[in-house]
Formats: sequence, structure tokens, C-alpha cells
Amino acid sequence: MWMQLIKTGNTATRVALAIGFAAGVLASPGPAAGKVRVVATLPTLGSLVREIGGDRVGVEVLAAPGEDPHFVDPRPNLILSLNRADALVINGLELEAGWLPPLLQSARNGGIQVGSPGYLDASSVISRLDVPGGPVDRAQGDIHPGGNPHFLFEPESMSRIATAMAGLLSRVDPSGATIYAARGRELETRLNAAGREAAARVAALPPANRQVVAYHKSLTYLYRWLGLTEVTTIEPRPGIPPDPGHVAKVLSTMKTTGAKVILQEVFYPRSTSETLARLTGARLVVLPSGSEFDKGESVSDHVKEIADLVIRALSE
Amino acid sequence: MSKNLSWVAIALALLAGSSAQAQEAPQTAVSPTAAGSTSVSLDIAFILDVAGAWYSRTPMEVGGHDPAKTGFNFQALEMSVQSNVDPYFRFVGNLALGLDGLEIEEAYGQTLSLPWGLQIRAGQILTRMGRMNTMHPHAWSFVDQSLMIGKFLGEDGSRGLGLELSWLIPLPWYVELVASATDAAGEATARSFLGGGEWNIHGMRDFLYTVGLKQFFPFGREWSLAWGLSGQVGPNATGHRNLTSIYATDLYLRYKPTGSPGRATLSLTVEGMYRVRQVPGDSLRDWGGYASLVWQFLQRWELGGRYEFVSGLAYDPLDPQWTTGRHRGALEASFYPSHFSRLRLQGTCDVPRWQTNPIWGAVLNLELAVGTHGAHVF
Repeated sequence: MWMQLIKTGNTATRVALAIGFAAGVLASPGPAAGKVRVVATLPTLGSLVREIGGDRVGVEVLAAPGEDPHFVDPRPNLILSLNRADALVINGLELEAGWLPPLLQSARNGGIQVGSPGYLDASSVISRLDVPGGPVDRAQGDIHPGGNPHFLFEPESMSRIATAMAGLLSRVDPSGATIYAARGRELETRLNAAGREAAARVAALPPANRQVVAYHKSLTYLYRWLGLTEVTTIEPRPGIPPDPGHVAKVLSTMKTTGAKVILQEVFYPRSTSETLARLTGARLVVLPSGSEFDKGESVSDHVKEIADLVIRALSE
Repeated sequence: MSKNLSWVAIALALLAGSSAQAQEAPQTAVSPTAAGSTSVSLDIAFILDVAGAWYSRTPMEVGGHDPAKTGFNFQALEMSVQSNVDPYFRFVGNLALGLDGLEIEEAYGQTLSLPWGLQIRAGQILTRMGRMNTMHPHAWSFVDQSLMIGKFLGEDGSRGLGLELSWLIPLPWYVELVASATDAAGEATARSFLGGGEWNIHGMRDFLYTVGLKQFFPFGREWSLAWGLSGQVGPNATGHRNLTSIYATDLYLRYKPTGSPGRATLSLTVEGMYRVRQVPGDSLRDWGGYASLVWQFLQRWELGGRYEFVSGLAYDPLDPQWTTGRHRGALEASFYPSHFSRLRLQGTCDVPRWQTNPIWGAVLNLELAVGTHGAHVF
């Protein structure tokens, strides 16, 4: 068809084809030749794979930096990455349910489909929180029936995933199994140490300083890690934007409890949080949605960044 | 009718079963590591579209699910069922339940792991003709179907029983080549070809063939451009081995600033078709297209505008009244209370030039989604 278009098409058709070809070449990143190709859905998962795989592995991340992991644009170039992948790491617990399934179905890659050796659902190895104890109903908001999926805020979850990733990489690249296992253990040790160090810093603060308000019900694992207490959320229910009546209740709760820190991720609207911070004298902490994978940030540095942001606000 | 009621009963029973499984969620506040699922995943969803409409004169909507009269309109109750069958196939079913009966929009099997970038869909499929034709009504930004799709492909779009082969071409950017053969008959689904009535297959010339080339260019993380070229050829109802050919191009440009609170997006869609029909002693040629701009400026709010034009012919056996061009403009404002509900207000001005006055219209649409619905493609 291409050749027929080139032969029979008029000048405009040929120019359009040439522009299309050039744009495609310019717009697409080149593949990492000779390496194990791993696709991770989220930046923090990508950073974990990169640290365990080292130079044996080429990693691509589907979500853009700062993008809401619930609503990643399912752009067709992501199908291309999945088509060429040897392994896929997803967060799981339906966090990617709104965008990943059609990409995976179109990938034409049996090696990374659910249940295949090259597929890892990170949520399968963590200790879950917020698992619904009764009927799941959308009137409760956007509830995840399997539990809260935002566990990449917690070093312990990351360390468990690191071990599972070493296993994944060993399955798709058995010749590097020893290296992956050693790096996995090393990373696990680093993450647990960083986690303990930050938790100890928070534990030294007075209990009143450890109360926070969150925008979305996504920081449960952060609380478990740092020993924080959430007094309320700015969203009345997960995924439902705040209305004036609920904001008034949040304001009242903050005044009653004395909570002086508001936490939210970078992709949520800030105007309500800023208003509440102004009215109560609280500090607003905007947390990154994941590691700075594109800038080469390590997960240990990412953990330290989150801890520093939160502890600085709690300490003021 | 009793058959239709049976389908509804089966669908409701399946949904009830799915709901019951959800209620059996673990009772612990903190689960053990790697808590397993107790059932095989089956995604079932219902999407309801109803509307209240007002038109200044008798409307001339062209879509099978359009709000086509002043008053209350039941547009559709779509039911979607999807699941992996095994490591090799995925099942996809989309049914539209209307007040007059059941319509199987799609029901097909899709391969998951063919080598060399190949994929096959077999069953009742929407053909990959253009962009809008591949989308179900609840995925449209506007409450009604485009004039071009209704006039050239059919009130329910181009679809049919058949087989589709697609190939993800190994190039540095996304290029997919698609070819399908489907039934050329169907009054609402292949109106430019054999249309309604009984037709027998005598050979390969009696099928409707669709070919498409889909490309995608990501310009950084924020700009996306999808460009498609597609064409259809098949027999038409005028006999004498006469053929209809339709050529189409579609362009979708999207800007989504990353890190922008509120999920702001701006999308431009342009789609056009050119149709050639062989009829005894003549060749009929017409064309049409639309351009739409949709801006989601806040998490809950979206605004959109669309302009359409479809030409007419002095003699057209399919649309004898459509003797000259028809323009239509629409503005819509959508409010999303949550990710699973939408309220849309749309105003239209339809200008069929063969009539003296335009048709003004206003539609208020409510869309509700329950269950687990498969994500939409880009």
C-alpha cells in the first residue's frame, strides 16, 4: 500500500508521507538494543527496576512525570513499548484499570500478559491497607475493592517489590539471576534503613504535630510508615471533588484537632488546599507523584525527598 | 420480544452475580500479603444514556441512538462484557438494549499473543473506518452521531460479521495496518453497500473490505497526534456488480499538560470521507466531514464545539431529499459529577439547504455507568 501510494500518489500525497515518516522518526525514542526490555507503568516502579537491573536492563515508564496514575493518557506509542517488552511491572489493585487494559490487549505480546512469566503485579507482594470490610458501592466514591493502591509511598512496600522484581528479572534473564538477587537484597536493605531513619525522626515529634489532612485517600501507607494520623480528607469521598459544605467541615475539623499540615499529590487541584492553609495557618505540602525517573533519581533519594518534605512541615 | 426480555434477564443476573462477588470482599481491615481473588475476572458494565430534547422543527438526526424527537428520548442502555478467555483470546461483547429490542453492537474474539505484531478479531465488529466509527456512543463528546457517519456508513456505523487482521508494523513510531472483510449487508450498518434485504454470498466480491493505516506521533509528553487513512470497497444494491468506495482520513490532535492539576485537555478532531457509488449509467460522488474542538478545563467541566458539512446530490437513491449541502453546528457543555456520570447540554443549528429554515435544537443528556467497564482506547 505504501509503495502504491508512493508510485500513484500526487506530490501532496508524497509530501504527506515524507512528513509522516520524518515526524515518526523524530518523535519516537530509540530502543535499548541488546538489553532486557522492561516496561513499568509508574516512575517509582521504573526506578526500582533500573536499580536492580543496572546496565543489563532497558526500562521504559508509561506514566509521564507528575501524571495522575489513575488517568494516564493511553497513547498508542505505549502499545509499541509493550509490544517490544520482555517484562511488565504494574502497580495493580486497579490503579491502572482506567488506561492499561486496552494497551495490553493491543500489544500482541503473550510474554507480558496477566499470568505470564514476564508479568509482575507489585500489589501481589505488599501488605495491603484499606481493604473494604463490607459491600463495595460507588456511592462511597472511587473505592478500590482490593485495597488502597497507593503503596509506593512506603519503603517497606518498595523493598518487598524489589525482591519480587529481582525474581521477575531472573525469570526473563536467567543468566543475570545472581546479580539481580544481590542488587535486590542490597536495595531492600537501603530502603528499610531509610524508612526506619525517617520514622524515628517523626517519632521524636510531639503527637499533636503528627496530625495531617490529606486531599485524597491515597496516603494511608505513608501514615503507616511515618506514624501519622489523618484527621480528615479534603475530598468528601475518594474521587469526588470538595463542595463548600464539606470544606467548611474540614476547616472546623482542622481547628478542633489543631492539625497544621495538609498533604496532597502534585496532580490534584490546589486552590481548596491553599484556601484551607491560609485560613488555618497550616502548611501545604505538595508531594511528588513518583520518583523523578527521567532525571535518574534513585528510589532511596525519592524516599528521602518525601520524608524531608513531610518532616520539615511537621516540625515547623 | 420475549427473546429480548430473556437477554435482559440474563444480563441482570450476570450483574447481580458480579455484585454478589464484590460483597464477599475480605472482611479484614489489613489484609495478609498477596490476598488472592476468589473469582475469575469478568468485567460487566451498563451505561445508560437518556435525554430530554427540544427542536424548533422536525429533527433530521441520522444516528440510531440520537435524541431524535422533542420530548424524552431513550438513547441506549449499553451493556459491555469483557474477559480474557485463556492466554490466547479475549472476548469482547457490547450490546445496546433499546426500548424496541436488543442490538449486538459488537461480539468478537481478539487474539492476545500472535507473533510478528499480528492480531485478529473475529465476530461482529465495528470496522476500523475512520475514528468516530470505532467508538461506542458513550465515548462520544457530543450527544449525537456525525452526519457523515450516518449518511455514508449507516445509523449504527459501519459494522458486521467478519474477520479483521491487523499488523503493528515494526517501525520506530506507531504504525498499524488493518484489513477486514465483513458482511456488506445491513440497512443500519452498511447502507452505502448492500443495505437492507436478503443477499447471498457468491464469491469474494460480495464482501465489504476495509483497509486502514493508523499512525501516532507523540511530540513530547504533552502533545499527541493520531492520523488515520482508511478506505472501504464493496458491492452496492444497484446490481450489475456495481461497487461503492469510501475514502477517509482522520486526524486527532490532543494537548494534555502533564502536572496540570485538574486533568486539563484540549482535543481537536477532524475527519472527512469521500464516497463514490457506481449506479447504472452513472457514478455518484459526494463527501462530508466534521471538525470538533473539546476543552476539558476543570476536572468536572468540559466545553466543546463541532461543525459539520455533508454534500448532497440532485439524484440520490439513498437520500432523495438530500439534494444539496447540509451544515450543522453544535456547542456542548458537560458536567461530570464523578468519573461515572455525566450531564451534557448541547445546542445545535442544523441547516439543510434544501429546506428554507434551519432546525434549532437543545438537548440535555444524562449518562450513568455502573459495573466494571473496560477502559477506552486513545
